[in-house]
Amino acid sequence: MQQGRNVERRTVLKAAGASLAVAGLGATATACGGGSGSGDGTVTIRYAWWGAQDRAERINRTIALFEKKFPKIKVKTDFQPYLDFWKKFNTQASGGNPPDVFQNAIGFLRKYDAKNVLLDLGEQVKAGNLSMEGFRAGLEKFGEIDGKLLGVPVGSNSMALVIDKPVYTRAGVKPEMGWTWDDFDEAMKKIRDRTGRAGDSGMYGVMYLYDLYLRQNGKAFFTEKGLGFTEADLTDWWTKAEKGVRAGLYADARKVAQIKPKSALSAELAGSEFTWDNFTVRYTSEGKSEYGLAPIPTTDGKKTGQYLGSLMLSASRRTQHPEEVAQFIDFMVHDPEVAKIMGYDRGVPATQAQYDAYRPTDPVNQAIAAYEESLVEAGVLETITPHPAGADICEAAFLRIAEELALGKRSVDDAVKQFFTESKTALGS
Amino acid sequence: MGTAVTHAPAMEDLTEDSEPRHGPVNSAGSAALKRRGRRENLAGYLFMSPWIAGFLLLTAGPMAASLYFAFTDYNLFDAPRWIGLDNFSEMFADPRWRHSVRVTLWYVVVGTPIKLILALGVALLLAQKRRGQAFYRAAFYAPSLIGASVSIAIVWKAIFSDDAAVDRAQRFLGFDAGGWAGDPDMIIYSLVALTVWQFGAPMVIFLAGLKQVPRELYEAADVDGAGKLRQFWNITLPMISPVLFFNVLLETIHSFQIFSSAYIVGGGAGGNACGPADGSMVYTCYLYVQGFENSRMGLASAMAWMLLIAVALVTAVLFWSQKRWVHYEEDAR
Repeated sequence: MQQGRNVERRTVLKAAGASLAVAGLGATATACGGGSGSGDGTVTIRYAWWGAQDRAERINRTIALFEKKFPKIKVKTDFQPYLDFWKKFNTQASGGNPPDVFQNAIGFLRKYDAKNVLLDLGEQVKAGNLSMEGFRAGLEKFGEIDGKLLGVPVGSNSMALVIDKPVYTRAGVKPEMGWTWDDFDEAMKKIRDRTGRAGDSGMYGVMYLYDLYLRQNGKAFFTEKGLGFTEADLTDWWTKAEKGVRAGLYADARKVAQIKPKSALSAELAGSEFTWDNFTVRYTSEGKSEYGLAPIPTTDGKKTGQYLGSLMLSASRRTQHPEEVAQFIDFMVHDPEVAKIMGYDRGVPATQAQYDAYRPTDPVNQAIAAYEESLVEAGVLETITPHPAGADICEAAFLRIAEELALGKRSVDDAVKQFFTESKTALGS
Repeated sequence: MGTAVTHAPAMEDLTEDSEPRHGPVNSAGSAALKRRGRRENLAGYLFMSPWIAGFLLLTAGPMAASLYFAFTDYNLFDAPRWIGLDNFSEMFADPRWRHSVRVTLWYVVVGTPIKLILALGVALLLAQKRRGQAFYRAAFYAPSLIGASVSIAIVWKAIFSDDAAVDRAQRFLGFDAGGWAGDPDMIIYSLVALTVWQFGAPMVIFLAGLKQVPRELYEAADVDGAGKLRQFWNITLPMISPVLFFNVLLETIHSFQIFSSAYIVGGGAGGNACGPADGSMVYTCYLYVQGFENSRMGLASAMAWMLLIAVALVTAVLFWSQKRWVHYEEDAR
């Protein structure tokens, strides 16, 4: 009996030791997860982007092409929707473990440069691993901040009025290049009266549209350091918005809130929406109607204030494989096959070689190409104004506070004050 | 076993030292006992080690760190900068923070009592023997197993949207108020409804409490001619008051911590709002927005500690109040 019990004790101790060992092993296993090199010279790089399943499938096909051409480089992928992407990226980057290469946009360049997250790809251009030749429309300058190359554009897009075509036809509205805000207001009324649907989904909260309006009037949303407009400017903009919401020209904010993350346009709550022109690809898959692109209304009949926006690829400063990352980016922006796979999903391809390689055959992508070409022809494109660190938080606050205004939870004065308070905190001024 | 060792008198230690192996049987036995005791303690700690390591690394460590961050300006990237109480003064001055406190308090104050009253009511019905009792208990308990899940929150949002079940029921009853999910003032009640729907967990605890009430008390009351209501008020309620106290405590603390359902029903898809006009911006959601969307971890840590202090205060008040209304059996005798 005594003997037997001792044996039991020993077994018990062993079992306990084993459970400790397992816990310890688990810890080491996670600690090893960070390594990416291996014995045979194969290098693994991590690539992350934001987008939906559709984009992920296209990107995976381009990665398969890349891995075939560069057998020594393996690419591990990760993607989330836009807002979740940045949360995850923030957490990873602050933990010193950001993806080696990732999708980026203009509003984030300064922010992450100030935090020492971004790699200056200029070195790799000099070393011949990345070519900045052959970009369209001056796009090679887009990712340059203070002489550092922080992002390489993969595509360009511009703001547009995305319209529900049958609704506009029924209302008898035909927007043309150079139409004015008065024409636009008139169109909203016609759509409301003749189709019973709101004309627009909520233009008053779109930071990039207000930026265009300000630029038409010689201002801009941001300066290098802060906001480029006054409280009086915003009061005018939102006073008009409040009237429009009450009159039913803009979609009922209560309804729009419920259908998120679907857009008000594809949910048939509004006849049009101001957004980036490549969004027609998404809306076409999301909604039942047929979507087209209309020009941005102007103040003086000529100037739209537009500029090209761009999605970019950036590398993290922490990457242990800057050379491979540069080769990867180079392949993604120059290879013609990549363009054929991606289409206009991330905007019109940034390099001439990719632009020529993909000629759209479907009406949606053809419309995007035609729209972009019409902008070039009309000569309305200007240079982009800077986005200071904190611009992304201002954009989110602008959208949110505009929504509160539309829901009747804030007066115009209150909304303007709240926005200026929050953006001052965000921009640190 | 452990107690045997602690009760061993000090004298025995001496005997053990002088005659370690060949001593009297009982002394050797006590030494063996002692060794075994030590080994058992060791085994115990080894078994607990994964949990202890987890507690130190994943709970205690981060808590200590967040206490430090609460007094710093920390954006995740740059080293934390000590700013004293600035986070707290900013917090109190921030109208959005005050809004989130109001939303959360309202949720706790409205949701918790309704949930507990419903739980007690159903428990009283199910405490009586009737056919299908086990089925009813399981059926009422089921929602609290799945209620916290993301999928239920998504379904919930759909139910409370325009033209969905709730909106149609409202119109059938003659008032056209629209769906709650898009209404800045109503969305919080859809969350209250979600928590009330999960009354099964406190109900099961109430059921256990009701079983403990001695039947002879009711028999005596019957003999004395007390009605059902009077029996409930004078027998059932005092007898289950410890269980009631436990449920109040648990549900209150739980309610303060609401996050995922508010975050999902609020659908933080546009901007960093939660719900229409921040209608479902509960405290933890705002903490999340400040920490993870605005990268203000110092401020978020300060908010977390503020929540801890608030919940601790509420708990203290509840404990203080129990002297007045909770009857433990010892008092009764």
